[in-house]
Amino acid sequence: MTEEQTQSLPPLKSIGGQEIKQLFAASLVWLEKHCAYINSLNVFPVPDGDSGTNMLLTMQAALKETNNSPQHSASAIGGLLAKGAHLGGRGNSGVILSVIIQGFARAIEGKDTITANDFASALTEASKVAYKGVQKPVEGTILTVCREAAAAAVAAAVETDDLREVLARTVNEARASVIRTPTLLPVLKEAGVVDAGGQGLLVIFEGALKYLRGEPMEMEAGGAGAQNLEMISREEGWGYDIQFHIRGQNLDVDAIREMLFSMGESALIVGDAEIIKVHIHAPNPGEIIKYGAEQGALVNVIIENMQEQYIDFMAGKAANSKPPIAVEDVAGIFTVVVAPGDGLARVFESMGAGAVITGGQAKNPSIEEILNAVNSAKGDNVIILPNNKNIIPAAEQVKPLTAKKVVVVPTKTVPQGVAAMFAFNFQNDLETNAQAMTRAMQNVDTLEVTTASRTVTLDGVPVKEGQVIGIVNGKLAGAGDQRDDLTVRLLQEMGAAEKEILTIYYGDTVQPADANAFGNRVQTELKGLQVEVMRGNQPHYHYIISVE
Amino acid sequence: MKAEKYLGRIEISPHAIASIAGQAVLECYGVVGMANKNFADGLTDLLPGARYQRGISVEVVELQIYIDLYVAIQYGTRISEVAIGIMNRVKYSVEKTVGLPVAQVNVHVQKLQMDDK
Repeated sequence: MTEEQTQSLPPLKSIGGQEIKQLFAASLVWLEKHCAYINSLNVFPVPDGDSGTNMLLTMQAALKETNNSPQHSASAIGGLLAKGAHLGGRGNSGVILSVIIQGFARAIEGKDTITANDFASALTEASKVAYKGVQKPVEGTILTVCREAAAAAVAAAVETDDLREVLARTVNEARASVIRTPTLLPVLKEAGVVDAGGQGLLVIFEGALKYLRGEPMEMEAGGAGAQNLEMISREEGWGYDIQFHIRGQNLDVDAIREMLFSMGESALIVGDAEIIKVHIHAPNPGEIIKYGAEQGALVNVIIENMQEQYIDFMAGKAANSKPPIAVEDVAGIFTVVVAPGDGLARVFESMGAGAVITGGQAKNPSIEEILNAVNSAKGDNVIILPNNKNIIPAAEQVKPLTAKKVVVVPTKTVPQGVAAMFAFNFQNDLETNAQAMTRAMQNVDTLEVTTASRTVTLDGVPVKEGQVIGIVNGKLAGAGDQRDDLTVRLLQEMGAAEKEILTIYYGDTVQPADANAFGNRVQTELKGLQVEVMRGNQPHYHYIISVE
Repeated sequence: MKAEKYLGRIEISPHAIASIAGQAVLECYGVVGMANKNFADGLTDLLPGARYQRGISVEVVELQIYIDLYVAIQYGTRISEVAIGIMNRVKYSVEKTVGLPVAQVNVHVQKLQMDDK
């Protein structure tokens, strides 16, 4: 159908600001008509189900900004739409739509009119900008639809400079992309729906295309593509979730679909003359099954009570029918960590350490202290992180003194201990964890910066009492009079610039402001590193630095 | 925390809850990263991949889960909407996976991420 209609109109080479406004207004009208349907596509039982409403309000806010604006430049109108969308973005889908509009507007900045090519590249830019807004993009959403539609627009713009044709192909691909969303996102497939946000974007494109073609804004009965997945709002009740296949001969898919649509909601009926898959929600499963059985042989019948599922889910909150729950801090494996300074203790606690014993270079904890911590553990499996070479032997000696199963991961420094904690996985058993933690601690280099307590030559480095010294992985690496200069020099010698993350734990001798300033300096002098500054509050050591 | 009855015990560490919350928050639209919760001010660089857990704190008080998230948000999004999205998604994910009520999800916006260009 698209070919004929497109060819009957003269090619549209470019549009200006006022036309963009008209297109937007048309999209808005079309979206309004589909709003209830899009809202019904909600799959999460959380209040983000109003995708249609949210996108509609976002579009309205965008368009309102252009009201009464006589501007004829595409750039100016685009800017106004972007501003309106930014300030009026509502809900998850609305926010994404607002970012798409902003990305599009930025790409057409400075242009009085936009051509087919401009449209395609602006849509591509919009998709890129939209993807930047999320750390872990989930595919099968409005993002996917936007990206794939943009790619189709780019391909079309290579072949033709007719905006109408490019938009037509964009719509076609967007529709195909929407239909594919359940194959990418399992939660959609389970619910038998397409992605609501993606559907909304499709409708927006469709509205614009209809305007360009001069078509009326009327709903097609049983329209093509994604609209086939007829949906009714879930507010009408939860009822039963019914799934089955009908096997038979000469099955009339359309007639069966039409009949079932009238009997339930969220219906998805697909198949051919020999087998039809039915997925439907209905208050009375008996009628549906009876009807299905009249059409052919039923197989793979699944009936679930959604009301019960929902009640069960909600009951989890009230914890009425659930086992009594007690609070306990720890998984099956308990970790006992030795850390100097309360700042470092908090770092370990925030990572899930079961017990933290204060101690370090100048104050080694006694075997008894470690033993007490091990015995206080709620579980029978304990991992000890000594975080100091001199404490490892004491930790080892705890083993025969307790009935619990104890593994010492021989961390010699605090950074090794932190790396080991990061490798801890509560789902794994003791041995697996110990191995993973031992491996992880070897991937970290440690620089400890302190003040020499006497004049000595060690590891070939002459040191005067009172000088600042740096210890790299347990070996004296350098001495100097200026703390920060020495530290930066040693970091460079360690090859820290080639690593990724540098964490500075500053001790009780360093002011927070100084530590942050030092962090900024390291960031500047060793480019490309991710530098973190944390309060360790350890005694004696000005800095304990982890390089990984 | 621990659930007891029937065949034995179920124990879920706050660390595990933090992992679930972390997965959920990074899938929220508008969130471009986590920031370190230990910084009141000063450096607020984003936490690299595996370390995002440092931007999450989980507390369990009287059978209720309290989650604090320290996030960086994309400039150009409406912060209030993104934050509400985070609250809903994290609450939903944690309750669905853990089966225990989430009393609070507090979102601390530590940074607005501007585009590179």
